[in-house]
Amino acid sequence: CKRDSLMDTKPTSDIPDLSVYSTKEQIVNQIRALYSSFKNGQFHGGRFLIYNDIRSEEFLNEKTNGVTGLQTWNHTLTNTVAEVNGLWAQGFLAINNCNIFLDGMAEKGTAVVGDSLSKNYTAEARLIRGYAYYCLLQLYARPYWDGNGTKPGLPLRISGNKLRADYQLARSSIAEVYAQVISDLNYAEANLPKTYGSSAAELNTTRVHRNTAIALKTRVYLSMQKYAEVITEANKIVTASAPFTATVTPGVAHALQPDITKVFTTYNTTESIFSLPMTSTTGDNPGTQNQLAYYYSPASSLGGVGNGEYALNITGIIGNNIAWPATDKRRDFVKTTGTTTKKYFLSKFSAPSPYTDYVPVIRYSEVLLSLAEARVRSTNSVDAQAVALLNAVRNRSDATKTFTTGDFASATDLINAILIERRIEFLGEGRRSPDLLRLGLTIPAKSSTSSSVPAIAPTDKQYIWPISSTELDLNKLCEDNK
Amino acid sequence: CLLQAQTRTITGKVTSPDGSPIPNTSVRIKGTGYGTTTGFDGIYSMNVPAGSRVLIFSAVGMGDVEVSIGDKAVINMKLEVADRSLSEVVVVGYGTQRRREATGSLSTVKGPAISDKPVQSFEAALGGRAPGVQISIPNGVLNNPPVFRIRGTNSISLSSYPLIVIDGIPTFTGDFSGTSAGANALASINPSDIESIDIAKDAAASAIYGSRAANGVVFVTTKKGKQGRARVSYDGWVGYTKAQRLPDLLNAQEYTDFKNQGLKNAGTYNATTNYFALTDGPDGNPINTRWYDHVYRTGVSHNNSISVSGATENTNYYFSLGYTNQQGIIKKNDFRRKSVLFNIDQKVNRIISTGAKLSYSNEENFAAASSGSLPGEAFATGGLGRVALITAPSISPYNNDGTYNTSAGLIGVMNNKQSQVGFYNPIITLDRNRSNTEINHVQANGYIQLKPLSWLTFKSLYGIDYLYADNKIYQDPISGEAYATIGFAQSVLGKNKRSVWTNTLSIDYEFASNHSVGLLAGIEDQRTTGEGFGLSRQSISDPYFSNIQGGFTVNNPVALSIGSNYLYSQFGRINYNFGKKYYLSGNLRQDEYSGLGFNKRKGLFWGVSAGWEITKESFWTSAGINKIFSSFKLRGSYGKVGNINGINNYESYSTYSPGLYGGLATIGYARSGNPDLTWETSNKTDVGFNFGILEDRITAELSYYRNNIDGLILDVTQVPSAGIPNAIRTNVGSMYNKGFEMGINAMVIQGKDFTWDAYFNLSINKNEITALAPGLPFIIVTSPAGASTNEAVSITQPGYSIGTLYLIPTKGVDPATGRRIFVNAQDRDVYYAHPGQWQYADGSAAPAISTTDRRIQKNTVPKQIGGFENTFTYKNFELNALLTYQLGFHIYYGTEAGLRDYRFWNNERAVLNAWTKAGDITDMPKNVFGDNYSNGSAIPLDVHMYKGDFLKLRNVTLAYNLPKSIIDKVKLSSARFYVSGQNLYIWTKYPGPDPETSTNGNNPANQGIDRNQVANGRTVTLGLKLGL
Repeated sequence: CKRDSLMDTKPTSDIPDLSVYSTKEQIVNQIRALYSSFKNGQFHGGRFLIYNDIRSEEFLNEKTNGVTGLQTWNHTLTNTVAEVNGLWAQGFLAINNCNIFLDGMAEKGTAVVGDSLSKNYTAEARLIRGYAYYCLLQLYARPYWDGNGTKPGLPLRISGNKLRADYQLARSSIAEVYAQVISDLNYAEANLPKTYGSSAAELNTTRVHRNTAIALKTRVYLSMQKYAEVITEANKIVTASAPFTATVTPGVAHALQPDITKVFTTYNTTESIFSLPMTSTTGDNPGTQNQLAYYYSPASSLGGVGNGEYALNITGIIGNNIAWPATDKRRDFVKTTGTTTKKYFLSKFSAPSPYTDYVPVIRYSEVLLSLAEARVRSTNSVDAQAVALLNAVRNRSDATKTFTTGDFASATDLINAILIERRIEFLGEGRRSPDLLRLGLTIPAKSSTSSSVPAIAPTDKQYIWPISSTELDLNKLCEDNK
Repeated sequence: CLLQAQTRTITGKVTSPDGSPIPNTSVRIKGTGYGTTTGFDGIYSMNVPAGSRVLIFSAVGMGDVEVSIGDKAVINMKLEVADRSLSEVVVVGYGTQRRREATGSLSTVKGPAISDKPVQSFEAALGGRAPGVQISIPNGVLNNPPVFRIRGTNSISLSSYPLIVIDGIPTFTGDFSGTSAGANALASINPSDIESIDIAKDAAASAIYGSRAANGVVFVTTKKGKQGRARVSYDGWVGYTKAQRLPDLLNAQEYTDFKNQGLKNAGTYNATTNYFALTDGPDGNPINTRWYDHVYRTGVSHNNSISVSGATENTNYYFSLGYTNQQGIIKKNDFRRKSVLFNIDQKVNRIISTGAKLSYSNEENFAAASSGSLPGEAFATGGLGRVALITAPSISPYNNDGTYNTSAGLIGVMNNKQSQVGFYNPIITLDRNRSNTEINHVQANGYIQLKPLSWLTFKSLYGIDYLYADNKIYQDPISGEAYATIGFAQSVLGKNKRSVWTNTLSIDYEFASNHSVGLLAGIEDQRTTGEGFGLSRQSISDPYFSNIQGGFTVNNPVALSIGSNYLYSQFGRINYNFGKKYYLSGNLRQDEYSGLGFNKRKGLFWGVSAGWEITKESFWTSAGINKIFSSFKLRGSYGKVGNINGINNYESYSTYSPGLYGGLATIGYARSGNPDLTWETSNKTDVGFNFGILEDRITAELSYYRNNIDGLILDVTQVPSAGIPNAIRTNVGSMYNKGFEMGINAMVIQGKDFTWDAYFNLSINKNEITALAPGLPFIIVTSPAGASTNEAVSITQPGYSIGTLYLIPTKGVDPATGRRIFVNAQDRDVYYAHPGQWQYADGSAAPAISTTDRRIQKNTVPKQIGGFENTFTYKNFELNALLTYQLGFHIYYGTEAGLRDYRFWNNERAVLNAWTKAGDITDMPKNVFGDNYSNGSAIPLDVHMYKGDFLKLRNVTLAYNLPKSIIDKVKLSSARFYVSGQNLYIWTKYPGPDPETSTNGNNPANQGIDRNQVANGRTVTLGLKLGL
């Protein structure tokens, strides 16, 4: 007769839904899983950065391969293209995982870990959620300045979804989504741990803490062109004078590292405010065709570790030998191949297959440059502290060049120098397209051996991405970008 | 009557019409359980109680004859092969029935029809042999499961493969390989061991298998010993297989000229930096490589089986050993099977009998690397079928110094000034890499049967089916496959175990002389467990190593899986007939399955049927129709069955999965389940009739069927911004298959020296989707699953048949400019000039043609399939020819898009017709280097869609049976020699190698696609059968 125990067989290698709030350890494991889905190679662990760089003028497509970003590079994206659907899906997956976790904490988890830990964890989940929304805004929504946030943003979901249901939802405005981002980051700042310990360098880089929330806010406010807020936030973690460091205690003592190249081999220095760790275990690295080094580093026969999907554009920042002289240490990241026909590749990310370079989310040098830019823009003057901040970043890589206020005829000149510094400093770290967009700059034209790509003006439809076709098919309330 | 205790002996000899003895004929006394069987010489002898009146003689394949005993002491009997096909026994699930009494729709294929065919698994030889049964051999990769459909495609997301029941135990089906070698689970059966295959198609025949019956049920019965002395037989063949109908490609000179012309047309030709050039080989002549010669071969195969069998009054045994070693048409693609089967049945006493079966097989499936032909492999970079097509003919696999021609994992360009003129060097792959799967498969059962009364039987059967798969991959660091990973090795072990315990009670009772009742009741308990784990390693630490045990620096667990499911069932059947004239039967089964949603596990399935043998009616005889029709039976059935084949063990659960974040443990929400998931429901109607005319020299069966499938399980994608990790399996869709089947068997000529038997069958099927999920207007599937959305060429949408082609329409090539003309979604013509210039006819810019411009095109499901078999015998010669055909379907010949790709890829010779000057009328656009749009490589075009209709000379066998005079001299009981050809000729307009193709295997939603596959082979075998 029937064996009831066999009829009620349960999975043993996965944990059924309702059994994941039994211990504190289980809840910590869930927290780390939120980071994992955020660092998926389809999202921030790889492609999000890659797309934001290859859209710009800095890179040239080498392989004409449709699955490694060709249409992002040449601005011919349509709703159905894989990257448009893939990044959208993975971004919202990361967001929903945070929402599910937040619901679970409210329902069960807080009772297990206690109120104070619960607040820490809630803050971590909200930071990831808020920042994931910010990331999606950079590709799928118009910049904030266009209509001051009134244009369509994203479907804004802040509670968890599990079962099959009717999930129709219209896009909230850009301002509404930014408000949620700021709200999540503010909550995170107030409730995150200040540090994971003075000896916990790894955790201080791979888990978010109070300074992470502040640093990310400088980025978010910069995108919104709210320069006063950028200054307010940055000042919380940047001393008033050189050497610029974060000195609030308790807290992580962020500072620039003396040698920029070390930042990309020793991943957990105090410069890396937040980076996504990778190991050689499958699933704990970006995975096939998502890895920064695979895209940017040339093949091993050319001395690289990757597939040379994208070369550096000689008409981009690397060709600017005056602003970026050969004495600059950051030139070490540019690898030249070939003799008659030279090509240039970015070797900033250098760990071979399975590509275990940590993927940077935000570094301290960005906070300094953002603060510098915000100061110049809010004072509309050649601000002395801004020049000092710029020098902090420049001098650690090139001691031969120290800017003075006299070098800049106008605030605009200084801003341009800061923007050039950002292009040099963050090459390959996914900053270029958001920097162009937040300022309403045209995406410059570019030419590779196989094709030439026209400039994309801020009014062009291709200035931002189209919305995922799957979303449009299934969510009738969601409108496409026009 | 007189009460007498005496018995007396009756003897006699049973012979066939030609006078030869018929062994194993049952001779029994009507109305009692007493009986015997004839010996090898056809002679019987039995004690008959006094008062016995009638003897019944019955032998398989012969008509029953009743004879009154009277006072005769010798009763010789000549049995007629009268209603041959109607008198056989068919397996109906938990029992057998005489074919003439079966009211369900059942087809039978006998063992000899398939036993000597050069296939790896028996079902591959079933094509064309039974109405309603579609078998398509997907490609020339050994042991790749054929597409197997009964009465059309009956599921979208679940399996459409029928349930296969081997000697009473439902077995595993599908490909159990974790490598690039095929490993069909059914290959464990040596086809020589099969006695018969019975195929249950309608609800009446299949409902006894309840929730697993929607795709039909195939009963495989292995051989048992036959009464008489022990027989030893040997079967063997040796075969030669070659690829056929390979596309005709450019040679080195043509390639070089054509590509240079392309560069010039693109304006990028440069005599120092950008050109194609020939390279001299070691002999001083320009290299001209025919890559087919490096990838394909003539496969040599042989197969050997020895069996010993026999039976006495109380014991029946069959023992066989088999060994086969088969080579595929792709180098290094081999199949080896060692098999053993032992069947024994023992009568313990008048009441108890018992028996057992033990079969074990070891199957080694070898491949060097991906052939590009198994499901999911179509775009494998190093797919051997694809590499042979697209690699430049102007380069060699070897440098002139004899070393491998390779550069950074890709094949070297030699004198070409190009970054790339091929993908991987296939010679390195073939020399150095392995991708092998070894299967160990045990199928065993034992039973005890109690028959306390002649009409009452209790049987308890316990069986196991254990399938162990051992997968091993090694990729050398210099091969393209593992250049990036610096050497790669992977081993995965998979364990699949099933145990089934069935208890049945059956009653066969006749009363009042005309009423015959059969009852069956049973319970069945089936548990299946699966477990797998593996290790993958990369970055080899020394080139000396060549296996997983060697030195590597990166280690990863792979293919971790564990699960089990449980199916508990109760079932019953009732058969009733009145005077062998009116038949009624009913089947009922309740299944409870652990894999379903918590509240939807238990369900009831049933089938009812009725039959009417009109020839038994007096009006039939009085009207004289019996002079034409020797038998005529009307039948009809209706029932409800289900499909759970393909529902995973824990689909109803929402689960969190373990993972890592920077090396630290995580548990993340990974899967949304559906607690309401249940089986797909299939309501089957079947009406038809069987008849025989001219004393059953011609028999025919005709059926009309309709199968309405509701609650089709679809993976319903949720709104992406909801962030749900998976498409949730839900019972939402519906579709139907309806059709007509016909089978005609004719003994056209029955002469003394010459006979001609003909068998023709055809099936017409219509499939249509009637509903999908709300918010799911259609399902678009890429080929293969997971490929770029540009390769989504199949659509499943209400109003159309499953997996209809979905391609961008085109209007030929503009004679003025040589540009391909596309038709966009707004019905406007768009002209393309590479690179990147899309224009309307007036020269204004048009948006680029993309997948959004696809249109629904033609069906891929054949509308008609059939087979035509003729057997001629003349004295000791026998000639058998089987033709099969499929009609009314289209194929997307995706390979052709690659064959016409204007990048560095080698092309088929048809590109030489490319447009060159204004006024040229051609379907081949201007040759512009780098253009992969105009010929459909980047976006799927309707120009690659072709009618797939074909007629295939599938098998021809010429056999010679040694005459008895010689056999006797050499002390043999039989000897047969034959020569046989498989896949000898194809009549088709399809331009690809073989219209019987399936890049995506059995997956119905993206069928009818031929993309980068290896061709099907043509095989010639020489064989020998000896009986000792």
